[in-house]
Amino acid sequence: MITFDQVVKRYPGSHEALTNVSFTIDQGEMIYVTGHSGAGKSTLLKLMAAIERPTSGTVLINNQNVSKLKASSLPFIRRKFGFVFQDHKLLYDRNCYHNVALPLLINGVTGTEAGKRIRAALDKVGLLGKEKAMPITLSGGEQQRLAIARAVVSKPSILIADEPTGNLDKNYAEDIIALFSAFQQVGVTVIIATHDALGNATYQNKVLRLNQGSLVADGVRS
Amino acid sequence: MNLWLTQHLQALKLVLARFKDNILGTLLISLAIGVTLALPVILYVVLDNLGGLVSDVKKESHLSVFLKLDHDETALQNIKNELEKNTSIKSFQFVSKEDALKQLTSTNNNQDLINSLEGNPLPDAFFIEPKLLDSGSVDTLKNQLSSLEGVEQVQADDAWIKRLNYLLALGKKAMLVLTILLGFALFAVIGNTVRMQILTQQEEIEVSQLIGATKGFICRPFLYSGALYGLFGGLFALLISSAIILLFNQSLAALSVEYQTNFTLNLPNITIFAATCLLAISIGLVSAYLAVSKSLFNSFN
Repeated sequence: MITFDQVVKRYPGSHEALTNVSFTIDQGEMIYVTGHSGAGKSTLLKLMAAIERPTSGTVLINNQNVSKLKASSLPFIRRKFGFVFQDHKLLYDRNCYHNVALPLLINGVTGTEAGKRIRAALDKVGLLGKEKAMPITLSGGEQQRLAIARAVVSKPSILIADEPTGNLDKNYAEDIIALFSAFQQVGVTVIIATHDALGNATYQNKVLRLNQGSLVADGVRS
Repeated sequence: MNLWLTQHLQALKLVLARFKDNILGTLLISLAIGVTLALPVILYVVLDNLGGLVSDVKKESHLSVFLKLDHDETALQNIKNELEKNTSIKSFQFVSKEDALKQLTSTNNNQDLINSLEGNPLPDAFFIEPKLLDSGSVDTLKNQLSSLEGVEQVQADDAWIKRLNYLLALGKKAMLVLTILLGFALFAVIGNTVRMQILTQQEEIEVSQLIGATKGFICRPFLYSGALYGLFGGLFALLISSAIILLFNQSLAALSVEYQTNFTLNLPNITIFAATCLLAISIGLVSAYLAVSKSLFNSFN
């Protein structure tokens, strides 16, 4: 589903953020991307979601080569993904309902169909009662869940989350991870970047461990 | 097709909702555009109406040939024959000095002044209507008539019309220049407003790009708001200019009674209406497009 082959990403005026990274992610997998801050986790996720393009090497998403795509077709690749950003990127000028509505607007889904899907997504993350609340009034954990609702509302086949448990206490973090594995169980590919030692999670999942831009481990954690 | 329509309706609804949220700001900007556009509209209406007046008057234009006071009968007969032979004259009319004095007496209120005249100071005269009214042929005819024996003076009474025409041409040029300059001002006003909107929507634009919005999806609302500013501004311009023309007409009514005409300025017609709105909309659209393409996709990858 997602294949990286000898991928290098270099930002202008800095060292290589990623060096010769190669791996494959299959449909329905749940993957952790780990490593210290600055190891290249966020860069890896952005390359996966076609938000950025590799400096060299090949990124294949559903057998489409991201480097060879025209800029005008990148948006359509991005719509296959649900992305939970490290800083949420919620819009504070509108309520929860309209935050979740944004991806549907982009996809041209409106009206009652949109309303149904927005409420379903909010229900899934436990925020159905707060659809009229402004995001600023939500707690950190609730904002995180709102971001997840926005990521899943257009039913993407791949869900990517950058540090979704970063600022949360352990109980909240476990809730969030449980939420992600629920999505994986219904067939969604889930990719989570995290800098901590995965807490006490007992899931048996594939781990991509990055160190200073290189992949140091690619295997199943037991 | 259906999706295309949905997308446009969506953008339009979004823009109208934003306008509604900021109704005072929208009104003020539209009003500024309206005032700016009203100036050339008023100028155009005034010039257009004066132009119509001039071409009405021009149809009645003629030459006056005044004879010397001491001419004799043969000279008069000679001139009459010459005028009858001349092919560029449509018709002419002889007014003797006695008739002229009678006319003056009947139309002039100041009888004392006329009674105090010792003799008849008026000359015999011919009033000529030329076939061709352009200034070249009128000038030729004037020269021919001046050289005739016994003619004191030939007056073409279209001189002031000529001058007025030059003034009108100058006025039209001034209007064109004014329109172009104000058009640039509108570019700046609408462009800046749209740029401000882009700044306030920066976060939404960024998130939308990250989750798969196309350029069109992001640009559309801004282009619509530019065009709508233009449209509202154009409508305001017509309201303002109509109100001002009605105000002018009140004073003109009094003035034209004095001149025994019924000259009033016409309100902007449907052509001016359409032209103003189209001009305003296209200025809005183009300046919004420039603002969007300048400030939106610098960092787009």
